[in-house]
Amino acid sequence: MNRRYAYFPGCSAKGTCQELDVSTAAVANRFGIELSPLENPGCTGAREFRAISELVHLTANGRIIAKAERMGRDLVVVCDTCLLNLVEANAKLKADAEWRRAVNDALSAEGLEFKGTIAVKHFLWVLTDDLGPDVLRKNIVRPLRGLKVAPFYGCHIQRPVAAHGSRAEEKPALDRLCELLGATVVQYEGASRCCGFHVVAAEEKIALNMSGSHLGNAKDGGAHCVVTPCPLCHTVFDAYQPDIERAKNRSLGLPILHVSQMVGLAIGLSAEALALSRHVVECGDMLAHIPQASGAA
Amino acid sequence: MSPSSKPTSSSGTIRVRIRRFDPTVDAVPRFEQFEVPAKPLMRIIDVLDCVHEDLQVDIGYRWLCTSKKCGTCAVKVNGTPKLACWDEALPDMTVEPIDNVPVVRDLVTSRAEYQDMLARVSPLLVRKRDYPGFPEPITETQFASTVHLRDCIQCLACQSACPVFAQKDSGFAGPAILVQLSDLAQDPRDDADRADLADRVAQVFKCVSCYECERVCPTEIPIVGEAIEPLKRIARRSGASSGARRARAFWEIARDEGMVNGAKVALRAGKSGLGALALGFRLWRRGKISFASVFGKGGSGSDAVRRAHQASEKRP
Repeated sequence: MNRRYAYFPGCSAKGTCQELDVSTAAVANRFGIELSPLENPGCTGAREFRAISELVHLTANGRIIAKAERMGRDLVVVCDTCLLNLVEANAKLKADAEWRRAVNDALSAEGLEFKGTIAVKHFLWVLTDDLGPDVLRKNIVRPLRGLKVAPFYGCHIQRPVAAHGSRAEEKPALDRLCELLGATVVQYEGASRCCGFHVVAAEEKIALNMSGSHLGNAKDGGAHCVVTPCPLCHTVFDAYQPDIERAKNRSLGLPILHVSQMVGLAIGLSAEALALSRHVVECGDMLAHIPQASGAA
Repeated sequence: MSPSSKPTSSSGTIRVRIRRFDPTVDAVPRFEQFEVPAKPLMRIIDVLDCVHEDLQVDIGYRWLCTSKKCGTCAVKVNGTPKLACWDEALPDMTVEPIDNVPVVRDLVTSRAEYQDMLARVSPLLVRKRDYPGFPEPITETQFASTVHLRDCIQCLACQSACPVFAQKDSGFAGPAILVQLSDLAQDPRDDADRADLADRVAQVFKCVSCYECERVCPTEIPIVGEAIEPLKRIARRSGASSGARRARAFWEIARDEGMVNGAKVALRAGKSGLGALALGFRLWRRGKISFASVFGKGGSGSDAVRRAHQASEKRP
């Protein structure tokens, strides 16, 4: 099976969530997955390029896909919002010859061409689908028994249905991964809702109200930690957690894990290798719930 | 799809729990449970009819067009907004009024707040130029981008699912208003200042892009992509709100440096004060931001993307 991918980490994994980049590389390395970063990939535009024009959105994303196509590899991302931008642009440019021509006109100056030959995947899907549950299971050296995990999916890996098709049921996939690793899944209201990231910089109160309600429900459900496939959700939940605690007038102390960190813990990677110390919310108490966690290498 | 092509409900009985509440006499809502005989092709509204007519219970619910046109019968069924006249009855269902709107009685909700907000965004074509003659010629192409928006039946299912509209003090007008506003804002015949209405009155930049509205829309309108994003395009250039400023700051950094740094966007969009300082310190202490990442230059960006932007800005 082809386990070589082009890799687009995005701005969070290269900026405020570098532990995501570090832990993704560590887990990929353990499974023999080769992730080759794109050179000068730019930005998928978050929600902002769409608010300029369809042309800017499709050019920026078509350019990133074209760079992966030049490597002849499927493109792997680790951010829900980047995923949606790239998945939608990939589908649109494959289906619509007129847009494809407009974008390729713009890309020709950089010697790039969108051909429509590759797929865009989240690293979560590489683990659950390409690698598969059997390989994952075989590599578990430290089952997460005793750990109660609240999965938080993020909007853009599950909605809109038109973009993700059968993938729109991403909720069970992440649930299944948690269970496969031995963790107990906490069911709580808000798991598939919005963290509010896309307004947090301009409208903090709105975002913290939303995320505070989800984290409160996860905590009430007995969660030791939250796991999310999206660094933007991670940023609101982790970096803003002291603000959420103040706004909601309650103590949470809920560590937020990236998917790669949770998988990394189960396959025996150390807290250092997974850069757990880069979180705002300390992970120490959470690790105490995992048998043999302290002795792992 | 016509109601007759719907799958048949299972035989036997339908158990329905209905939320009862009359704010003029009840202190709190209560649920009442009923059982009605299941019939083939039974819709939610047929079950409500059975409770009302056969069991003689005076539940309040709206019954008007019964053909997915008037948009007045939306209710919440097992937690999800549905059109009573169109969606299939479930063997075991809890029926409640939709969320985020005042309850008049039982399943009947008030449309007054929605109508008031709609009036504030000038819900009719505003014309300042002279007409070239009547009827004014308008082509299919000029209407193409808003064709789905006119499927809106204003049932308010989207408002009930919106996590921002749910926050009563948010100031956000909600997706149903934005659909109506966007239809007019994209109309070439309209002369109103829709950018200001979108930014200042409807507060479009408070949309979190969660797509919950699209998930529940009974007429499957791509609300985010075809109503809200075009409105943001119109409001972005001149908008004075913090959201519009943030959108402009994001673009400027992406244009100049390629990769975007979140802290830099926040600073340039005018985020300041003790809260921002505390957040910055927290991130710096964990190595999440550095002085160089916030104040240095990230990269060089892409000529192709810059050219695409220039081409977009030239369009009217």
